[in-house]
Amino acid sequence: MKKNRGRVIFIVISVLLSLYFLYPTFKDYRFSQQLRNLRGEDSAKFVEAHDKEIRDARQNRIKLGLDLQGGMRVVLEVNVFKLLEDLAKNKDDAFKSILDEVRAAAQNSDLDLIDLLRQKFAEKQVRLSRYYGSFRDSDDDVVKRLRDESSSAIDRAMEIVRNRVDQYGVSEPSIQKQGARRIIVELPGVSKDAEVRQLLQGTALLEFKLLIDPEIALKVYESVDKALGGKPMNDTTKSDTSGTDTSATVAAADTAKSVDTSLVPLPEEQMKAQEKEKKDHPFFALANPFQQENQAWNGQLYSSEEDRAKVMQILSRPDIRRLLPSDMAFVWSAKPAFTAEGRKFYSLYAVKKQAELTGGVIVNARATIDPQYNTPVVNMEMNSEGARDWARITGANIKKRVAIIMDNAVFSAPVVQTKITGGNSQITGMESVEEAKLLEIVLKAGALPAPVEIVQQATVGPSLGEDSIRQGVWSAGLALGLTMAFMIFYYGTGGLMADIALLLNVIFVLGVLAGFKGTLTLPGIAGVILTVAIAVDANVLIFERIREEAVTGKTLMAAIDAGYTRAFKGAIFDANLTAFITGVILYQFGTGPVQGFALTLMIGIVASVFSAVVVSRVIIEILIERGKHVSFG
Amino acid sequence: MRFFGKTTIDFMGKRKMWYTISAAVILAGIVSLSIKGFHFGIDFKGGTEMIIQFRQPTDVGKIRAMMDQAGFPRSEIKAYGGPNTILLRTEMQGEGTSVGDKIRSSLQQTFPEDAPKILQEQKIGPKVGAELRRNAFLAVISSLVAMGLYVAFRFKFIYGVGAIVALFHDVMVALGAVSILDGITQYTNFEIDQNMIAAFLTIIGLSMNDTVVIFDRIRENQKVYRSMGLMELINKSLNETLSRTIITSGTVFVITTILFFLGGEVNRGFAFALTIGILTGTYSSIYIASAIVLDYTNYKERKKQRPIVPEKISYEAVNQGS
Repeated sequence: MKKNRGRVIFIVISVLLSLYFLYPTFKDYRFSQQLRNLRGEDSAKFVEAHDKEIRDARQNRIKLGLDLQGGMRVVLEVNVFKLLEDLAKNKDDAFKSILDEVRAAAQNSDLDLIDLLRQKFAEKQVRLSRYYGSFRDSDDDVVKRLRDESSSAIDRAMEIVRNRVDQYGVSEPSIQKQGARRIIVELPGVSKDAEVRQLLQGTALLEFKLLIDPEIALKVYESVDKALGGKPMNDTTKSDTSGTDTSATVAAADTAKSVDTSLVPLPEEQMKAQEKEKKDHPFFALANPFQQENQAWNGQLYSSEEDRAKVMQILSRPDIRRLLPSDMAFVWSAKPAFTAEGRKFYSLYAVKKQAELTGGVIVNARATIDPQYNTPVVNMEMNSEGARDWARITGANIKKRVAIIMDNAVFSAPVVQTKITGGNSQITGMESVEEAKLLEIVLKAGALPAPVEIVQQATVGPSLGEDSIRQGVWSAGLALGLTMAFMIFYYGTGGLMADIALLLNVIFVLGVLAGFKGTLTLPGIAGVILTVAIAVDANVLIFERIREEAVTGKTLMAAIDAGYTRAFKGAIFDANLTAFITGVILYQFGTGPVQGFALTLMIGIVASVFSAVVVSRVIIEILIERGKHVSFG
Repeated sequence: MRFFGKTTIDFMGKRKMWYTISAAVILAGIVSLSIKGFHFGIDFKGGTEMIIQFRQPTDVGKIRAMMDQAGFPRSEIKAYGGPNTILLRTEMQGEGTSVGDKIRSSLQQTFPEDAPKILQEQKIGPKVGAELRRNAFLAVISSLVAMGLYVAFRFKFIYGVGAIVALFHDVMVALGAVSILDGITQYTNFEIDQNMIAAFLTIIGLSMNDTVVIFDRIRENQKVYRSMGLMELINKSLNETLSRTIITSGTVFVITTILFFLGGEVNRGFAFALTIGILTGTYSSIYIASAIVLDYTNYKERKKQRPIVPEKISYEAVNQGS
């Protein structure tokens, strides 16, 4: 026992850890079953009551691949050809004919498009600077610039896509960069593919819109609140503080809400206060005019992720619309603010409907560090036409805020400090370099093209996914059952121990998959089934070896010892290492579902060696030490 | 419980016959491949594929007419799973997803009362298809080489060669079987797609596993029975590991068969290739990998024992000094 104590502890910890990682998956399954039995209002109530739990479970469960849960997978590629076309200035017929030649040459050439373009221009003895960059640029400069553009186009495209997907409201979207030119977008549960495809393509619209004065906005919001049945506010100053009092800060409001959703019952007064707030101010309960200490209200309302849709629904009701000034529009922030608890809050901006400027006037934007204050800044450069308008706009709106809006989402709303003439503006006050970088990408996205095309797309309907899960789980179960029955039949008690190890093996594989946030795909289920085969093989190797050793006249304990040691040192180690290598190669070369298979295979190989060599051995040795009879058939 | 007592089968004695059989099977596969061609899946070929569910059984001819009219002649149209579900595929490429959109709208026009449901849609651009094909090829080749190198390093060089040839044999047999049976019954519509490549790589892994176990036993026995002839030694090792080989392979065989019949349409080709693979993988470890090691070693031995005196003196004279 002593010799095994360390190993027993290790095994128990591994099992507990796996179960801990699998628990959310189990909970998620339970919730979805309960929800299936509830109808309409009941299910809405249930969701509200268990809101946080459901979301936590969902976030930490084993992720299902699109082939299992249905959804859309789109691979976008930056269209360099289109980019070259879009970037060129003064396009004339000569340019078009060269471009056509490049297009034709690209069909059967391994050179990349920019090299081809350069080559064709050289053949025609035309300098690249005639169409790109400024007149004095050498071809090398232009080529370098074009390359930079093509690589930054992917960042722009990615930000545009992310922004649109966020607004579309897909749960658990995944947007990844693949290589230098591709973006993989995975949208679980989405089947309206025509709509989504529209969403992913097309150029971004960048606009500068003036924010409505906070005082005016507040009056409007109050009238909305009143129209919804809220109590009248006595005077504006009080209402201002009431807005802050009832919720103090976003963080405080959030704590109250999160307590509400957890299992601990809410202290009664707090609950009452919250209920009262909901009743007294139905609108502000959803969209909170959170005010920072010692500062004037910034004019923004804050809503939790889930409440956004409700707020928009209220604001678009005909009876409410009548209360709103005709030139007022509402735009959400692109990125959420996080509370200490990790809940997302978006802010709602009231802006002038008419844009002051559109992004086409931006010539360049660059995020840098201001050497004087060592803070991140973004320098924005406009063309002469834009600069003229910008001077007028900034001159007339000093100390007011102008929102930078891309595809109907606010990325920033800087305050105008002075009248800006000459078209060069500096945006300061960002909290991090990342924030500045994002703003640079957004500002460029309005002016510079980021043409993408769909090179790969797959949509799986949810029903096909359900069928696949059922068939996969059913065959996995049957395979496992049959194998286990055979092991007992053939190897007796030893087989039973192996079966325990086999079950643990499956738990390990799924647990690791959940813990590392891996994705289970249909080939992945096949991988789990194969893992069972690998684990069986390890046990068979060991047991056959034990039988052989026992024949030579060793005691049972000595035979077991020799069997395990020799089987592992010889066959098991080499055999599993080679299988693992194929797994690695498969993971490298495969995509999507196939990678899922490779992943489960690799995890499975490690888990099966562990469960066969360590777990079953410890169980058998402990049994023998306790004087139990263990046979190997 | 045990199925096998001590066996003394002379595996290596009949290896020449099995070489011939293996060659014949592979040849049959190559013939089938050259007649039927590679039946690539959508991910390797590129194009648009849709799985469509109709409410009522639908005439394939009508769908074909619709596809021809929509400008996608020579489309592949076949039943998928049940009679109401159809798989449509065209190699035609369009910008973005225009092909899919067009099919969708003509479906709505042709079957307005049925309102068919699109269960799955896939579009693979021409470049992506070529890329995936190249990646798959590289994956198979590099895993063959990696396995061979590993064995050559852990054992002896010739063991590595034997392992690579055996693995190559397995892939060729599986590829041939897939090609021969493809399209013969309604359950055997196989195509070479990414899942199939995953199956081939798994075959490589499983077959390797089997080969390593046997090689390992040969190596171990070589240390114990130093004076035993290699043929006798290999036979002894094969007999000693036979019980394990059959039980493991039998289990995997049962598992992949279950997967084939119950794993659903998507996993079927994969499971079939694996089923063939586990059979040929088990076989090749004995009759290809071990046999090559034996024959090569015999060849070296014979070379050593060959009389130094050359048979044709005149030749020797000409070549002298070189």
